[in-house]
Amino acid sequence: MQLRTEFGQYRLFLPSTTTRMTNPLILKLEQRDQLSDEEKRALENAIARVRVVEADEDIVREGDRPNESSLLLDGFAARYKIVSNGRRQISALHVAGDFLDLHSFLLKTMDHGVLALTTCRIATVPHATLEKITDEFPHLTRLLWLNTLIDGAIHREWLTAMGRLSATAHMAHLICELYLRLKVVGRAEGDSVQLPITQAELGDTLGLSTVHVNRVLQELRKEGLIRFQGDALTILDWERLKKVGEFTSTYLSLQNEDR
Amino acid sequence: MPEITLQPISVMTDGGGHEGQLVLAAGHPVAVLSRVTAEETLGEREQVGGWFLEAGFGPCGPLMSVTPPVFADLDQALAWVRTRLETGFNPS
Repeated sequence: MQLRTEFGQYRLFLPSTTTRMTNPLILKLEQRDQLSDEEKRALENAIARVRVVEADEDIVREGDRPNESSLLLDGFAARYKIVSNGRRQISALHVAGDFLDLHSFLLKTMDHGVLALTTCRIATVPHATLEKITDEFPHLTRLLWLNTLIDGAIHREWLTAMGRLSATAHMAHLICELYLRLKVVGRAEGDSVQLPITQAELGDTLGLSTVHVNRVLQELRKEGLIRFQGDALTILDWERLKKVGEFTSTYLSLQNEDR
Repeated sequence: MPEITLQPISVMTDGGGHEGQLVLAAGHPVAVLSRVTAEETLGEREQVGGWFLEAGFGPCGPLMSVTPPVFADLDQALAWVRTRLETGFNPS
């Protein structure tokens, strides 16, 4: 796989092993723009405490009015809603470095829940601290705005894929996206990422039955595009996977530029 | 309630023919079921093999119904088909 072609046009911020302990939000933002030491300190100091949420537990519930926002340091989380027939739709998957409910700072009441799919390590950032950041750090404020804009761009991309791509293409698209998002925050080992998400959870994400999730993964595997070993997903043919999923990374705004 | 009958068919899934059943209501196709293994439902709360709704028509189709979970046996599948036929306009 030649990821260089994907990143060739950008200055890729490559986290080393030593930076792995860095707040992954900083890694995520540094992919897109330069942060001053003062801004990085402000983000580090914004963390009031770190808590652990076990798999299948809610991190935030629909209807909650949190006075703090949750930043995912490690693990996988999902935004979801449940409809009257009991079916769950996952509207976003979150990885390390994602602000799970930054919008609760302004939206106040949660219109959906956020669930831990795996054990999650979560940093809590009080809304009062976010208010202070928006008062004192205009550039950092723009980057937090960028963060929610990227969330919005991902929603647009997902909606398009959900409505108009085949199930197999949709899955390929999701795998391409998750791989790049995990790579940016130093969670990829070469061509592999840990993806501890069940077929049922993927089904709730893609709007597919578990049976169809199993079939499309088998199709991608048989075509030599991906390999699963336990929770480890390896991309065997990045170019073809991108082509199948009609994936272009523009919406992830990976370019490092002044913002 | 129209008479519901089953007709064994082979369904093309995963690039090969798989054991399936065509469900007819008064002779009209309303559903195509195929046999699936427990592995194919891995990750569900109850991991079971059984019968999967490959395609549904009319009240059993995607305009009126979401894909139901895998049915443990054909009796369960037919019970679901009957309920859908009886329900009339009730998108789920």
